[in-house]
Amino acid sequence: MNPGSRKKTIDTLLKIMLAVFVFTLPLWLTSPTYLQILIFLFLFAYLTTAWNLVGGFAGVLPLGHSAYVGIGAYTSTVLFITWGISPWIGMWVGGLIAAIVGTIVGIPTLKLRGAYFALSTMAFGEGVRVLAENTMKVGPCVIDGPRGISIPLIPGNNFTAYQFVSKVPYYYIILIMLIIVLFITWYVSRIRPGYYLAAGGEEPEAAQALGVNVAKYKVWAMALSCFLTALAGTFLAQLTLYFYPKQILGLDFSFELAFIALIGGRGTITGPVIGALILRPVGEFARIYLSAVLPGLHLVIYGLVLIFVMLFQPRGLVEPLTRFYDWILNKVSGTATGKEVKS
Amino acid sequence: MSRAPSRGPAPRDTIKSEVTLEAIIQAIINGSMTGAYYGLAALGLTLIFGVIKVINFAHGSLLMVGMFAAYWIIHLTGWHPYAVLFLVIPMLFVFGYALQGIVIKPVLEAQREVREPTEVIIVTTGVWYVLDNLALMLFGAEFRTVKTSITGQVFFLGDYFLPKPQVYGVVITILTSGLLLWFLKYTRMGKSIRAASLDRDTASLMGINQYRVYNIAFGIGAAIAGIVGCVLIPFYYVFPSVGVVFDVKCFIIVVLGGLGSIPGALIGGVIVGLIESIFPMFMTSTWTELIVYAVFMAVLFIRPAGLFGEKRDW
Amino acid sequence: MALLDIQNVSKHFGGLKAVDQLDLTIEKGQIYGLIGPNGAGKSTLFNCVAGSYAPTSGKILYNGEDITGWKPWNICRNKIARTFQIVKPFQTKTVLFNAMVGSFIRTSNTSEAEDMAMEVLKKFHLADKCNVLAKNLTIAERKKLEVARAMATDPDMLLLDECMAGLRPNEVDETLDIIREIRDRGVTIFMIEHIMRAIMSVSDRITVIQFGRKIRDGAPQEVANDERVIKAYLGESYGAA
Repeated sequence: MNPGSRKKTIDTLLKIMLAVFVFTLPLWLTSPTYLQILIFLFLFAYLTTAWNLVGGFAGVLPLGHSAYVGIGAYTSTVLFITWGISPWIGMWVGGLIAAIVGTIVGIPTLKLRGAYFALSTMAFGEGVRVLAENTMKVGPCVIDGPRGISIPLIPGNNFTAYQFVSKVPYYYIILIMLIIVLFITWYVSRIRPGYYLAAGGEEPEAAQALGVNVAKYKVWAMALSCFLTALAGTFLAQLTLYFYPKQILGLDFSFELAFIALIGGRGTITGPVIGALILRPVGEFARIYLSAVLPGLHLVIYGLVLIFVMLFQPRGLVEPLTRFYDWILNKVSGTATGKEVKS
Repeated sequence: MSRAPSRGPAPRDTIKSEVTLEAIIQAIINGSMTGAYYGLAALGLTLIFGVIKVINFAHGSLLMVGMFAAYWIIHLTGWHPYAVLFLVIPMLFVFGYALQGIVIKPVLEAQREVREPTEVIIVTTGVWYVLDNLALMLFGAEFRTVKTSITGQVFFLGDYFLPKPQVYGVVITILTSGLLLWFLKYTRMGKSIRAASLDRDTASLMGINQYRVYNIAFGIGAAIAGIVGCVLIPFYYVFPSVGVVFDVKCFIIVVLGGLGSIPGALIGGVIVGLIESIFPMFMTSTWTELIVYAVFMAVLFIRPAGLFGEKRDW
Repeated sequence: MALLDIQNVSKHFGGLKAVDQLDLTIEKGQIYGLIGPNGAGKSTLFNCVAGSYAPTSGKILYNGEDITGWKPWNICRNKIARTFQIVKPFQTKTVLFNAMVGSFIRTSNTSEAEDMAMEVLKKFHLADKCNVLAKNLTIAERKKLEVARAMATDPDMLLLDECMAGLRPNEVDETLDIIREIRDRGVTIFMIEHIMRAIMSVSDRITVIQFGRKIRDGAPQEVANDERVIKAYLGESYGAA
């Protein structure tokens, strides 16, 4: 076998092993704490990948995306508590509402310059949070303002109610969601809207002269992103069974999403996942073990990593990591520039 | 965005309280004075935003650094905050200058070709997180206060009262703005800054060292943030997240008033201050926050250049 | 019927009359040149035709249809393509990507768009660089890419805005050949250019504008010898015949 195809085989093999590992993980990793950490890792990977559709592909900087997580969570929860509608259905309603809201907000704001767009998303996000904190009831639906909503616990595993006793079903649900959203991202990048988005994000005038209605595609990406984001909002609500505005609609949450995507590599498909893989464990461990002694350390770390990445690798860590992975593959498979190698 | 409790006369927070002409006038007075130091805070930001075209999300953090610097100096020396001002100004200037030179400049340079350097926004966000949380780690989250000779004292103007620290704040605001305007109009460096803000490439062709100008502009912006910190000390709480309260507000003011416009920043500040003091008389103060955001969004859509900004190709 | 009919178009920016009551017609199959001193309003006129600006007054007809004030992307869909004076390639993307953004206007299928793009790139001798990032091209290659990308949209009319600025003489000749080739394939060309020998040699007709107004139009030789044109470019002292 020549080195080139050997390298390909090793690469495919590694990817299959990774897939098997990830899918069988709950079989041997039974600690709920660690499972929870992984679930949140996948959740953030999902959210940042959805964010990436606007923040990476459309080339703008949304800093208020938590609003859509909140819309998803509140919609499905309110529908469940008030009328007993299964969150599985409420999830889609939430997604639709989020897409509509995102479109309405996006149409005027996506025309703005980068910095101003970022500010407007922040203002909108904070506006939604304040709105939620000040609303006790909307008609028959209880929102309960700043105290947030608790979802009544239904004992046992109840699929319709989207509640399970162990963490394992949640693990698989978010894993599948992540795979789907990655696929969607990959697919979008290969079809015309993906090209148009990338072009419009980089040189809007040139894109327009080539027939691209840049604003339309940006709004389209925004709607898709908001829809997908809201679905995860429902997931989060069902996972923790309690949420409140400052947490689920907070600026910190929005910023964390943006940070992870930026550090990983916005505009790439795997960048956000890599970002989540790197930052989340660091953040979690810092928070769990050090926050008593040094509160806020994990955020300092986030900030420092962000600064360093922007200074030295502004396109994200996915690039050098991919090169590194490539280098390892080369070494292992014996593929080197023109050299024949003993295996 | 949230409002930290301020130490002084309690704001009217309940709806359906007596809305008399007197109360309204008092609210106008309060709002205008608050607006003055909001405007001062926004001043540094509009300078940085206008000159370097950088959204400095770390601006609030600079204010916080200024406040803590003042706090510790007062603690150690017992000096009056307005005296401490003269120490804080150079300290923050150097800090800002270094920050711009070390952290922001490399990103700006790398992004020179790019149409919209969002990486710079991101870097300043990182700086914000680092500064705020370092302060949290080092000083803890508790609210500190400083008792000064003017804390809690008021002037009386007929039936209305004007808290002394706020009045001095207005004076300092006017002085600082005047100084800044003079600097920009009449000094060499000031003119260089204005030139660079209009067209950085032409300016550098004319021999103006672009990056040195940016460093100085940033330093001045930081120093102004430090001044605000000192102004706030007699009547505000000192705590690590104080910057966040001002950060978003400052951006709203800058957009309202017009990017790069000094009178715009001050007037924008007063507008926000007035909204915050008058509206709570008719609705809960948290709905007032929404009003501010709504006004902000409206300005963005209708006239992104703000009240005094130049029309650009947005 | 004229392909492009610019009727009494004006474009004012506040008090500045960048284009002042301009009339201009271009016939199908022509190479039409637009010249004039710097600041005369040439690019502004282009921008009015291409949709970046809406004219303050006047009408622009294309194939008899009123396209005044249409948005740039609709103008492109209407088979009018343009290049920019300062080239705007999608720098972080490959040459192929750049061309595909153009060819995507003809099909929504990715592999079809890719094939069409490669065809165009081959004609411009950029095919072997199809996977090079646009930011790594030389200036001459970038200018070629700019034209290639516009051609990928399969236009009937091409607006070229100073596409030869900064090129070496042999590169200018190469570009002139390309322009002639494009015309031979049935595309009408409307071009702004400062390099006199280039635009004189390739144009069928030329319009000269100054301060936003047309001061002369006609065949290249007529225009070159016109007293007013010489004065406009070289100043009053040269104007005396």
